[in-house]
Amino acid sequence: MAPRIDAVAKARGATRYAADTMLPGMCHAVLVRSPVKHAWIGGFDLTAARAVPGVIGVFTANDMPEITFGRRVKDIPILARGKVRFIGERVAAVVAETRAQAEEAALRVDVQYEELPPVLDATAALEPGAQAVHDSPWEYPGAVVTKADPVNTQSHVTSGDAAEANELLARSAHMVDKTYATPSGHQGYLEPQACVASVQDGTIQVWASDKSPYRVRDELAACLKLDPSDIVVHPVAIGGDFGGKGLIGETPLCVQLARLTGRPVKLAVRYSEDLSATSPRHSMALRVRAGCDRDGRLQVLRVDAVADGGAYAGFKPRVNVDLSGLGDAGSPYRIPAVHTDVRIAYTNSVPRGHMRAPAAPQTTFAVESALDELALKVGIAPVELRRRNLLRGGEPNIHGITWAQCRGQETLDAALGAASGQCPAPAGWLTGRGVGVYDRHTTRAARTSLRLAAEDDGGIRAEVAVPETGTGSHTVARRILAEGLGVPEDTVRVVHVPTDELPYDRGAGGSRVSVGLGAVAAAAVKAWADRGEQNAVTVEIDDDLGADVTSYCVQIADVAVDPATGEIRVLRIVSAVDVADILNPAAHSMQLDGGTAMGYGFACLEDLQIEDGQVWSGTLGEFKLPSTRDVPPLDTVLVTGGSGIAPLNIKAAGELTNVPTAAAIANAVAAATNVRVRSLPIRAETVWAALQHERTTTGGRV
Amino acid sequence: MKLTFHLNGRMIELEAGPTAFLVDVLRSTGLTGTKEGCGMGVCGACTVLVDDRPVSSCLYLAPCVDGADVWTVEGLAERFPQVVDAFVAEEGMQCGICTPGQVAAVCALTLEKPAAAEPEIREYLNGNLCRCTGYQTIVAAAKAALDA
Repeated sequence: MAPRIDAVAKARGATRYAADTMLPGMCHAVLVRSPVKHAWIGGFDLTAARAVPGVIGVFTANDMPEITFGRRVKDIPILARGKVRFIGERVAAVVAETRAQAEEAALRVDVQYEELPPVLDATAALEPGAQAVHDSPWEYPGAVVTKADPVNTQSHVTSGDAAEANELLARSAHMVDKTYATPSGHQGYLEPQACVASVQDGTIQVWASDKSPYRVRDELAACLKLDPSDIVVHPVAIGGDFGGKGLIGETPLCVQLARLTGRPVKLAVRYSEDLSATSPRHSMALRVRAGCDRDGRLQVLRVDAVADGGAYAGFKPRVNVDLSGLGDAGSPYRIPAVHTDVRIAYTNSVPRGHMRAPAAPQTTFAVESALDELALKVGIAPVELRRRNLLRGGEPNIHGITWAQCRGQETLDAALGAASGQCPAPAGWLTGRGVGVYDRHTTRAARTSLRLAAEDDGGIRAEVAVPETGTGSHTVARRILAEGLGVPEDTVRVVHVPTDELPYDRGAGGSRVSVGLGAVAAAAVKAWADRGEQNAVTVEIDDDLGADVTSYCVQIADVAVDPATGEIRVLRIVSAVDVADILNPAAHSMQLDGGTAMGYGFACLEDLQIEDGQVWSGTLGEFKLPSTRDVPPLDTVLVTGGSGIAPLNIKAAGELTNVPTAAAIANAVAAATNVRVRSLPIRAETVWAALQHERTTTGGRV
Repeated sequence: MKLTFHLNGRMIELEAGPTAFLVDVLRSTGLTGTKEGCGMGVCGACTVLVDDRPVSSCLYLAPCVDGADVWTVEGLAERFPQVVDAFVAEEGMQCGICTPGQVAAVCALTLEKPAAAEPEIREYLNGNLCRCTGYQTIVAAAKAALDA
């Protein structure tokens, strides 16, 4: 099988990312960010900054269109106008000949702030009489709240019936009612956000670290009151995404700076700005109530969650401004009644956004931990509780969907089979094993386009609209086109083209890229066969065929805990994954391993430490991503033979293995120590303190 | 100040401020293969070799390379083709932003510990973060490079 099409260029350092764009006459922008949480902007003194050698201009909201933008709720200003709402918010921009000169001048921008009481706690923010982060959030375009909602509500979404859930809880033979907490965390892509913009002959040229070039184009057009055809977004490689590279973010500002200065402008943020001022994961408190009968058969699940959405809601794309993972609580199981109630609050902290399977890791940690606590009450093994409740083929799930195929039991068995045998642990340490279960449907909504053209040498040029975020999508495009066209892979040249050369693409994300490529490639192959005398064909698809395919992912973690210090060592993580056909085995396997490594980070390492409205883990020295030394041995077993999405018979892989890991590890720590950690990350200090408490209060076995 | 040093095997002369970082100076010459990630010497994306030792060019002051022998991924790819081949064959990358640093680190590994076994390889690459892959294919690439 031919290697990935981007491998040689990436290994030689030849691949171009947004920040590698160099244009003649290009200058550099640096942001001035708010040092305060919540304040009126009293005024600016730009004199000293403008006097710094090399400075071309210093700009504020007065130089920007009076507009707010966002993916659904349009509440984000291009530069703060009148008020700042979080530490790190953009208040001014300096453009200079060099980045160093711009950084020097940015330090000399004097902003007067008249501080306001900050809103720091999501639950308190939703109480009557709370200080408002936004005066009238219901007036923003796309808002899903009304004047009747608590003033700091970004969204309030419920499912199921509370009264029914409460009644079933009261009638359950066994019940748990526990609250779990998860911190904010950054997506951890290693390419800081970057944008280059230039105005050439009236057309705006953009290079941005954004996975949705067509959305960037359309959002820029809306922000700057231009026609989309006046804007071209150029292809660049994306240096990691995981939900964080679809923001639009600094792009409207960068374009406006290029228009104001008449020069090409590069705006590349430093990583510490990225950590503290982009769109990290929502921090959450989740109260889980679960009830079952005497035999451990689930009767009811109720999840009440409050999520901290930070200062702006504009990074959430869904129509309800919610996070899909919360509404899917309990989806792997047969549960007669599920009720969820999720409120997302505005606070004076960094605005939150999507991260790989939005809210699913948080929800799964909470629900799967609660199920272990319930199993303890029933007196059955945690695995047995899952076995009795996993959905079977033909049964509708909690949303009333009957999957074409449902292989939770098989996936659980595969995980248990692969996890047989003991993992060696240090002498004297406590050992335990935990399980975590997740299922995720494969999205069938695809909107993209593709052009095939004959080349002089007999090869075929395949122009794609979707960026390569690292998942191997362009390699997959080549493979399925070559197969469809019946030609060798090395005769198909896949090229990512600027936005003016193809009709549209929705962007990478939502685990839907391969499904979209499969559909558009099938259409292109057909058009190619019917092309007659033409030497090129362009096809566009826009499908939304609902969902009837799901994938189970069951993880089993083995851990050892040092009873003297609370140190946790994850000895092994086994992942069993329910798959159909696999287009690119190497890339598929990296998606699974990389996901588990990220799940491990969420479980044991990563905490953005947002306290008192401020991100304290402001560098990668404090916000710890898993390294080669951290990632435990990973074993993956594929449950093959699955039935996936036509025409390629595939299932999504990108947002599975990062989800149940924290639950599996938390459950393993509880099995090892008899103490339950209900907040992440699980640190030695937390475990040690819990062990001390257990020793002094219950005379427990540890 | 004027700096004279070997860059990818060729003598180069350039001007750099006394507080300029090596990553910026290298990138300003058009060698954009070297990436700035964390900007504080933690992630390893900016790794280059100075006198055949791996350094974080985001923290390394440019004046310190005066008279030294500096290799970036572009030159290392020519000097250590077996390392590039190993990363390609093992598909030791996804988004690729950390890859130039990983390649540089593995080149240094082949010089420093040519007989390293897996635990030693993992320890050596501990300073090169990757958010995409989970490291299995990167470690496999390093092994393949040492075996080549």
